[in-house]
Amino acid sequence: MHTLRRGLLAGVLASLVLAMFDFVTVGAPGNGLPPVLRWFGITVADPAISHWAGLFLLIVLGAVWGLIFGALQRDNLITAGHPLLTGLALGVLWWFIFELLLTNILNHASSPLSLSFGRFLASFPLDVLFGVLIGAIFIQWQARQAAEAS
Amino acid sequence: MHISSSARKPKRVAVTASGEGAIAPPITLSERSSAGLALLRIFVGYLWFQQLFWKLPPTFAGLFGYVVRESQHTILPGYGTLLQHTFLAGCPSLSSPVGCAAFVPLAACLWTAELLVTISLLFGLFTRFGALLATILSVQLYVGLAYTEWIWTYGMLVLLALVLVAVPAGRRLGVDLWLAPRLQAAGQRHRLAHIASWFV
Repeated sequence: MHTLRRGLLAGVLASLVLAMFDFVTVGAPGNGLPPVLRWFGITVADPAISHWAGLFLLIVLGAVWGLIFGALQRDNLITAGHPLLTGLALGVLWWFIFELLLTNILNHASSPLSLSFGRFLASFPLDVLFGVLIGAIFIQWQARQAAEAS
Repeated sequence: MHISSSARKPKRVAVTASGEGAIAPPITLSERSSAGLALLRIFVGYLWFQQLFWKLPPTFAGLFGYVVRESQHTILPGYGTLLQHTFLAGCPSLSSPVGCAAFVPLAACLWTAELLVTISLLFGLFTRFGALLATILSVQLYVGLAYTEWIWTYGMLVLLALVLVAVPAGRRLGVDLWLAPRLQAAGQRHRLAHIASWFV
């Protein structure tokens, strides 16, 4: 249960970092948040609502990813390598599902796997970072709890 | 987390604690401060990440105007000449990179260096190496462009990078967390690992 809760919180925090990245964008603040809604085919006309709804959905998705991460970490000993690798893999999965498949399908792209270098560069490193952050936050909490227990 | 620059540094902290403690007590960062510095590192990495997109390969065209400006407004004597004989060598015109023989390969090196800084700082992977590279790139920008914009713009970039050279910010919320103890252990036996441990 502790592992699931830690995973959930790590996912939420990592998604907040992603949200901050989406906030600091060229053009207008928060330009990166409405595209999160578009992954699910949702379009909101009001810009303010679409920004807030995008932020909310991003945090929810982060929490779900964190729960999956927590479930995969059950009964594991405290080693930094495994959580970081699991996080990295989940980051790649996030990129594959949301930034590649869903974005292409909803944009009616020629192929669900079509990808330009610019789009890859803009999305892949940040999504992998999201996963690595889940792992890193999880490790730190695990280590702190172990230190408090001993 | 102790502030330390290499595997050898903790010894120095211990010496400080016993010998000079009364004058200069050792500095220990709390976990919150370390996490804060890690967030700073991530956002400086994001800063570099965003700058990759206005000078994308294969042409790196966005960079050309800045190189020309650097060659004309540099504060370092001789630097303008250096740029004219490298990046701008053989350019028929200073309004376009078309025909510049060396521009694309040199711009590719610069872009790759910035990509390395991005990866290093975002992921906390050999963070101090990335920060060192960021410092060199920022100093180069300062030398070339400081007096074409607000004087502190590139100065702040240099200072931010220097902070990340000084503090092992990748050992929290970064891959260096996993890498640092392994490199330090391997550094007892292998010289290469010992050198690599300076950069985490």
